[in-house]
Amino acid sequence: MSEYAQAQNRERQQRLERVWGNLPGWGALAAVNHTTVGLRFIATGLMFFLVGGLLAMLIRTQLALPGQDIIESGLYNQLFTMHGTVMMFLFAIPVLEGLAMYLIPKMIGTRDLVFPRLSALGYFCYVFGGLIVLSSLVLEVAPDAGWFMYTPLSSATYSPGPGSDFWLLGITFVEISAISAGIELVVSILRTRAPGMSLNKMPIFCWYILAMALMIVFGFPPLILGSVLLELERAAGFVFFETAGGGDPLLWQHLFWLFGHPEVYIIFLPAAGIVSTLIPVFARHPLVGYRWIVLSIITMGFISFGLWVHHMFTVGIPHLAQAFFSVASMLVAIPTGIQIFSWLATLWQGKVVFHLPMLWIIGFLVVFVCGGLTGVMLALAPFNWQVHDTHFVVAHMHYVLVGGMLFPLVAGLYYWLPHVSGRMPSDSLGRWGFWLFFGGFNLTFLLMHLTGLLGMPRRIYTYEAGLGWDWLNLVSSVGGFIMAIGVAVIVVDIVLHFRFGKRAEQNPWGADTLEWAIPMPVNTFNFSSLPSVDTRHPMWHTPRLVESIAAGEHGLADVQALRRDIYGSDATTGKLQEVVHLPTNSWLPLMTASALAALCVSLLMKAYLLAAVFTIVALGLVLRWGWENGAHPRAAPTDHNEAGAPPLHSRTFSGPGLWGMVVGLMADGTFYASLMFGWFYLWTAAPEWTVPAHDSVTLLPMILSGLVLTVAVIAYCHLVKGLRRGFAAHLGARLWLIAALGVGHWVLLAGQLVSAPLAPTERAHDAVLVVILLYLLLHSGLAVIFTSLQAVRARLGYTAVQLPYEPVVIQPFWLYTLGVYWVSFVAFVLLSNAWSVG
Amino acid sequence: MKSSPVHPVHLFLGLAIWAAWFVVLYGGLSVGCTIAPPDSEEQAGTWINGAIVVVASLVGGYLLWCAYRCAQASSQAKLQRDNRLGVFISKTAAAVYLVSSIASLALGVPGVLLPPCV
Amino acid sequence: MFGWFTAVLVGVIALWLFAIKRSPGKASAAHLRKVQKRWIIWGGLALPVSTITVVLAFGLPLGQRMLPQSSPEGGELRIEVTAHQWWWEVNYPDSGISLRNELHIPAGRPVNLHLTSADVIHSFWVPRLGGKLDAIPGHTNILRLHADEAGTYRGQCAEFCGRDHAHMGFTVTAHEPSDYQQWVGQEVSDE
Repeated sequence: MSEYAQAQNRERQQRLERVWGNLPGWGALAAVNHTTVGLRFIATGLMFFLVGGLLAMLIRTQLALPGQDIIESGLYNQLFTMHGTVMMFLFAIPVLEGLAMYLIPKMIGTRDLVFPRLSALGYFCYVFGGLIVLSSLVLEVAPDAGWFMYTPLSSATYSPGPGSDFWLLGITFVEISAISAGIELVVSILRTRAPGMSLNKMPIFCWYILAMALMIVFGFPPLILGSVLLELERAAGFVFFETAGGGDPLLWQHLFWLFGHPEVYIIFLPAAGIVSTLIPVFARHPLVGYRWIVLSIITMGFISFGLWVHHMFTVGIPHLAQAFFSVASMLVAIPTGIQIFSWLATLWQGKVVFHLPMLWIIGFLVVFVCGGLTGVMLALAPFNWQVHDTHFVVAHMHYVLVGGMLFPLVAGLYYWLPHVSGRMPSDSLGRWGFWLFFGGFNLTFLLMHLTGLLGMPRRIYTYEAGLGWDWLNLVSSVGGFIMAIGVAVIVVDIVLHFRFGKRAEQNPWGADTLEWAIPMPVNTFNFSSLPSVDTRHPMWHTPRLVESIAAGEHGLADVQALRRDIYGSDATTGKLQEVVHLPTNSWLPLMTASALAALCVSLLMKAYLLAAVFTIVALGLVLRWGWENGAHPRAAPTDHNEAGAPPLHSRTFSGPGLWGMVVGLMADGTFYASLMFGWFYLWTAAPEWTVPAHDSVTLLPMILSGLVLTVAVIAYCHLVKGLRRGFAAHLGARLWLIAALGVGHWVLLAGQLVSAPLAPTERAHDAVLVVILLYLLLHSGLAVIFTSLQAVRARLGYTAVQLPYEPVVIQPFWLYTLGVYWVSFVAFVLLSNAWSVG
Repeated sequence: MKSSPVHPVHLFLGLAIWAAWFVVLYGGLSVGCTIAPPDSEEQAGTWINGAIVVVASLVGGYLLWCAYRCAQASSQAKLQRDNRLGVFISKTAAAVYLVSSIASLALGVPGVLLPPCV
Repeated sequence: MFGWFTAVLVGVIALWLFAIKRSPGKASAAHLRKVQKRWIIWGGLALPVSTITVVLAFGLPLGQRMLPQSSPEGGELRIEVTAHQWWWEVNYPDSGISLRNELHIPAGRPVNLHLTSADVIHSFWVPRLGGKLDAIPGHTNILRLHADEAGTYRGQCAEFCGRDHAHMGFTVTAHEPSDYQQWVGQEVSDE
């Protein structure tokens, strides 16, 4: 390259840096860039890990000797509840999400995730939610009913303090962040891969994350529903889990484990993805059985939803039903087996180069296989009846979670450290850390299997001497402290390496995936030009890749109209479809998350008026957020002489927004389906289920309201169809008309809620009905607001026949609202009547 | 299976059917035991057991047929050059259908052995 | 079961370590693909499938036998147990005896415990006499208890139930059949 060309290239890269960079100083809080947000997720998650570990140390101190009184029962209960909660909700999931957010755009050859402001919102929700949960420990009112919050122990009668409220509100807050990250990852992986990266050329890690993200979308809503219902029961006295009035405490267990078991796999899949990424690199051999692994990822994703009842084998479910879950629990061993032997075959074929991350991978194998085998034992109901809720399960669970998640995670951290810092981790200190941790871990938990078989139950704060558990507990505690020293060594190692590590060269491990084509340490825009991909191993098979990307020889090399541009591509083939323009730094995520946090805190203080104010503030901020979107001139500034091919996504019919809406509705639909499940469950299984003697809602207004809604939706679909054909006369007026119809529907329905003689605090039937009505009102209300805003935008010219993007995004929301309305109508009005007649 | 056997929906449709079958099985069992509990409660071989076995073989058989369709499509796709994606999708889909078929049948096995409502 | 599982564990780890140490020879691509397939099919499919089949074949009937069926000759003893925070209320409906935190049963004869709870969820567990079963408010679960030999067995609440969960223990005393009758007689006359 000539000197002149080099200078030109530098200037080009500076232009990219200006557009993609974060704001200086406090402005960093407005950052939406996936690299920044991903790293913040990881760092915050590791902080929470240290807190959770500290709690575990306190627990082990108390249990070290029989009959100790260092920690009294009430505090101990808070400690183990918080240990589980922090590790699961505030460490494991967010850290892996952060890792995925950091890596995915880099692996698929693009510059950012597809909804950057959502990433930032997710992060702030996570931090605020986490701090709310932790603050309860400082205030000495931490939740103490176990991380599983079984009712009725967690309900207002038996946990009168605010502990359970902290848990329910804080964790729901954190889960919103998880779901938003899940939606964003799904759409990013499907729609913004490098041109030419068809499904079969996707790095295997992306398959794992795709499955994880979809599982989050389907797995978290049941728990959010459960938390909402339990909080309604605690705060407003609604009946859902109280036996008197027709609730059932087992409903909580179903909802909790409907989330809880998939969650284990949500944690395991990305960790397995790390293993599948690292092994081929260190074996210098492509992953054996790529297709087999994809098969097992998909299988795991589904089958893990069919296991939840195995946490409930001792609640008295018919044996045949238990057997189904036994079978499903064992089936999940097959995809695991396939992966383990694929990794083995890769190592077998390759010439292995041994580095520190490989040590952690081997640690993973030993610990995880052991945990998997005890898992197969536990899936067997009679064995489970014996050891359920003993320390055997504690040991099993730690083998699976620490083995299946923490070991690969640390391997991954060491592996990707140079990517962030540009320096290599030290080998010797790292080895010390590994052996201390590995040794301490096995000392703690291997013997704990025996403690459990000898009959020591879980969650007891003390035990009597002479039951044969004394020396086992002492050894476990010693092991726990060795493990803690190991963690400290690792932390020191990582901190020191930022200062003293030796400079890493480009692609230090000789990896095959695109993230290593980025200059190290990482910059803000990833690729200075966006490459096309025609192989599964671009870094191995494409010559001059790093140089040509840096020289700007590929796509979107220069900035257009100060926009953040990336490529959008076809979900299956990866063919280039459009240019997606992303929003830049924004304060809105922080403001929205703060409003939500304030809402949370005012609910905790039972200041409901204040809560209503903050709800309105949050809604206003979200709408403001949506306003600067699509074809809004601040969102998509254009040069007039800009070439139109590929088109900007706001000029198309199937932009990422539509995908985001559909995936979001999947989560919403799961929430609704869980609610329906709860309804049918209480109906068939609650011991004291009662139906009111008279009809709860009046048939005629319900039908009328539904018909008005149907007309509105038909009109809306007609409008979108017209847009697709290039016809948009009276766009604004028609949108106003549809919104007006929606208002009519809403008023009729709200009238039902007000006038119906419902007693949600006395009958579970009425409580569920109220929730359903509120749910329907929320949806049609939002649809009306969205449509009215579209009408305003049509007048301002942001929505038009050549700018059809947004009405298309809102269409699925209308259809969904219509669908849930009629389903609820059939389930509540028709079926319910037929039942009480028959 | 009307759509083309190389459509990516086949990558998960089989397991979606399995999931639906699982829900029907678990839900149907509790409803069946509530509405019409069989007379002899303590042996396998009631009408519920029969229904489980019949539906399990229907679902399993259908999925097996789907697996066969996809496997055939993959050998056709192989004939076209540059259709690696098609081969990938149809082969993986065939395996997914096969797995779902086995999993669906496996769920039926306890139905042969155990009494339904205790 | 434990033996076989330990063997699998050690075997898999040894294979991995060997695979890491081993340097691959030169072989044709077709041969390589065959070797790979063999690993995945035998290790990844056949091994777990056969293990699961064996485990289920033993496990399902075993679970079936542990169920509280009414045996042909009848004659199970019925005891009603209600869990409270943090103690156990025990009632013998046949003889009207009520006890607190202790059960007396005849050895060698099946006993059906009808479990329920007055407040939160508890779980009835005597480690040496078999599995545990939850006591849930509003539900009654039936647990089959069978002591082969006379003696005293320690039991404990196994589902976390609040502050004094750790102290919610009880004892089960199994008597020889004749001693048991004597005990019943004594209790009834005491009341």
